[in-house]
Amino acid sequence: MADLFEGYPVEVAAAAAWDEVFDAAHRPREVYTALHDALQPLSSSDLAARKIALDRAFRDAGITFNLFGEERPFPLDLVPRLLSCDEWDVIERGVTQRVRALEAFLDDVYGRADVLADGIVPRRLVLSSSHFHRAAHGIDPPNGVRAHVSGIDLVRDERGHFRVLEDNVRVPSGVSYVIENRRAMTRVFPELFSTHRVRPVADYATHLLHALRAAAPPEVADPTVVVLTPGVYNAAYFEHALLARQMGVELVEGRDLSVRNNRVTMRTTEGDHPVHVVYRRVDDDWLDPLHFRPESMVGCAGLLNAARTGNVTIANAVGNGVADDKLMYTYVPDLIRYYLGEEPALDNVDTFRLEDPDQRAHVLDNLESLVVKPVDGSGGKGIVIGPQATEAELVELRARVLADPRGWIAQRVVKLSTSPTLADDRLGPRHVDLRPFAVNDGNRIWVLPGGLTRVALPRGSLVVNSSQGGGSKDTWVLAPERVAPEEAALLRRRSGLTQAVAAGPDLGPHSSDEQQQQQSEQQNQQGGGLC
Amino acid sequence: MSWQIRIEHSTGYRYASPVISSYNEARIIPQTGDRQLTLEATVRTEPASTTYRYWDYWGTQVTAFDLHTPHTELIVTGRSVVQTAPAPARPTDVPGWDGLTDDRVADRFVEFVRPTVSTPEHPELLAAARELAAANAPADFLPAVGDWVREKLRYQPGTTEVRTSAVEAWQQGVGVCQDFAHLALVLMRAAGMPARYVSGYQHPSADAAVGETVSGQSHAWVEGWLGEWWGFDPTNGVPAGEQHVVVARGRDYNDVPPMFGVYSGGASTSLGVTVSVTRLG
Repeated sequence: MADLFEGYPVEVAAAAAWDEVFDAAHRPREVYTALHDALQPLSSSDLAARKIALDRAFRDAGITFNLFGEERPFPLDLVPRLLSCDEWDVIERGVTQRVRALEAFLDDVYGRADVLADGIVPRRLVLSSSHFHRAAHGIDPPNGVRAHVSGIDLVRDERGHFRVLEDNVRVPSGVSYVIENRRAMTRVFPELFSTHRVRPVADYATHLLHALRAAAPPEVADPTVVVLTPGVYNAAYFEHALLARQMGVELVEGRDLSVRNNRVTMRTTEGDHPVHVVYRRVDDDWLDPLHFRPESMVGCAGLLNAARTGNVTIANAVGNGVADDKLMYTYVPDLIRYYLGEEPALDNVDTFRLEDPDQRAHVLDNLESLVVKPVDGSGGKGIVIGPQATEAELVELRARVLADPRGWIAQRVVKLSTSPTLADDRLGPRHVDLRPFAVNDGNRIWVLPGGLTRVALPRGSLVVNSSQGGGSKDTWVLAPERVAPEEAALLRRRSGLTQAVAAGPDLGPHSSDEQQQQQSEQQNQQGGGLC
Repeated sequence: MSWQIRIEHSTGYRYASPVISSYNEARIIPQTGDRQLTLEATVRTEPASTTYRYWDYWGTQVTAFDLHTPHTELIVTGRSVVQTAPAPARPTDVPGWDGLTDDRVADRFVEFVRPTVSTPEHPELLAAARELAAANAPADFLPAVGDWVREKLRYQPGTTEVRTSAVEAWQQGVGVCQDFAHLALVLMRAAGMPARYVSGYQHPSADAAVGETVSGQSHAWVEGWLGEWWGFDPTNGVPAGEQHVVVARGRDYNDVPPMFGVYSGGASTSLGVTVSVTRLG
């Protein structure tokens, strides 16, 4: 039988992308050994059959985004992406640190603005950001949290280092894929879950609900949380519905809410019911027609002033987008040093600020080798990848950069790491990124183990966005081994493992309580994986 | 010598069909600051509502309220008593143009040096600003800008509306105090001088009789940064003094609208604005 990975190209040139599975000698990396051994004997037709089963699992769950004509389906690839607990440790620390710094920054710029007075960030940068909402000034969230949910986008560079690509503390989406990918994978590959200690993701909604309740006005003993969606035509409606269902709270639209005297209520069949926390998936601009777009029908008039009085908490807070601004992103390492007195655990991708005349001149001379991005774009919109752009596109880009230098940044083209992905009945390398999700309850920032791995399906493409035809992979964070060495050896023999998949228990950063918790979570997951 | 002025400011809307739900913000409470002390301030609405006050980003006291009883007319009335100070002398210890327009000043006052929707850039206005700045030291610049604006704009109520930009008003050659202020701001910013929009009231008479109630104005003027903020009224060509009552400051009109809101319902007509002022002492 042919090796499933035969012909899987791994480039060894210095500038080549890092492959998640194989090292330069085409040997599977330690963390992937068991998975490689399990997948290798499968034939192409086995793979095709599993793919059909996987697609069916997705269809059964109702994950059919294309139905509404808003977004394409987000195909799930068969081969999971694995992260060792050491790798995850760095990511978790880096993401947590970043969220802490961004929280401090948001609190500062909507309050005293020390960071501007101290000259850490130029005042003009913040005050000229299109997402700096003066209407949000002076709103103090009850437990201080503004980024209840964050999605920090990471890429892995040519040397295997994770780097931050951008921060999403407005309304980060995609976590429903993480949850549904895992569900589908446990159905289709139960045996892989018996040979891997995969940290669970199914408890995301529990953590989210806990954080949202913790953010409620303090005098409310049993707060009511709702999920506010723009409606069924929104591309992420499935996610809104899933999260509401899993949290056991109402999914509402703007017309279901009303504000009187700065108190929010939702209409129910049993009359008006008070609402204390709005997990909104509606963008700032559409949220409150009194302060933003008056024509908005998906928002709720008076919501902002209700939050200002402290009667309701808006999650995530209004105005967080100022921290997402891609020019602001270049200052986040400085913010980590300024607010936390720490060095960043995760580096940024090298970025040029086009406001700076020298950097701008350099970038304009090298457009064909750089990536240029609009500072307030999302979903990959407006990005120009120099090496793949036509001469005409570069001419146009140059003019647009010169017309509005504040509006753009430029980055070195990072060859995102590749991971074996099923395409045309074979496994081929496709570029991937990673969006871990962090939930802040005011006491602790919890990072969902794993996150959304997006994969660029066309060969060679570096654009992973779902709106640009990307797919996704189930992302496994392997838990530390907790079994005695002899027992582990036995387990490995039984499951055909040739090497340990994870480090010993003393290497994790977690307290013994957390270890305990992980272990019990782990057991739950294994139970689910085997049924 | 300071003045004490009572102001009654009324504004409202009439609706073609009953409005069931309406959310509003009024910015009509005079500020307390260096040269002005607000002694009393109330805001009432008809129909009656519970009002809620907060200070916005620009330091303006906002009165917010919502209405949920069907109504065909909404009237908001602010009453206040304010003590005002005479116009300060024109600052003497003013940095030169180089000092005023250096990077630190530009960064500190970035919001007040950039163009806005209502105060956009225009090459001809830029040229005019450069000419005025070359001929005048910063301290003399504001009166010169005021003269220039009054030469270009004829005061004529009803010719522009709140969305009219400075450039549109300038091209039409007519406008109201808001347009005079916006056009002055364009020139000041074009010269690199931080400049802000001031909204408030004006007592029409410099030698007003105590106790006599007269019809006043909802008014707008500007302030320029001369090492300190200095107010100037381009419509009248005078520094802002005891006849001027400050309600709000911002980049342009849009930061400080005296009244705005959203409601669901049919068309509405503005009931206009009436301001009566009484010099109490």
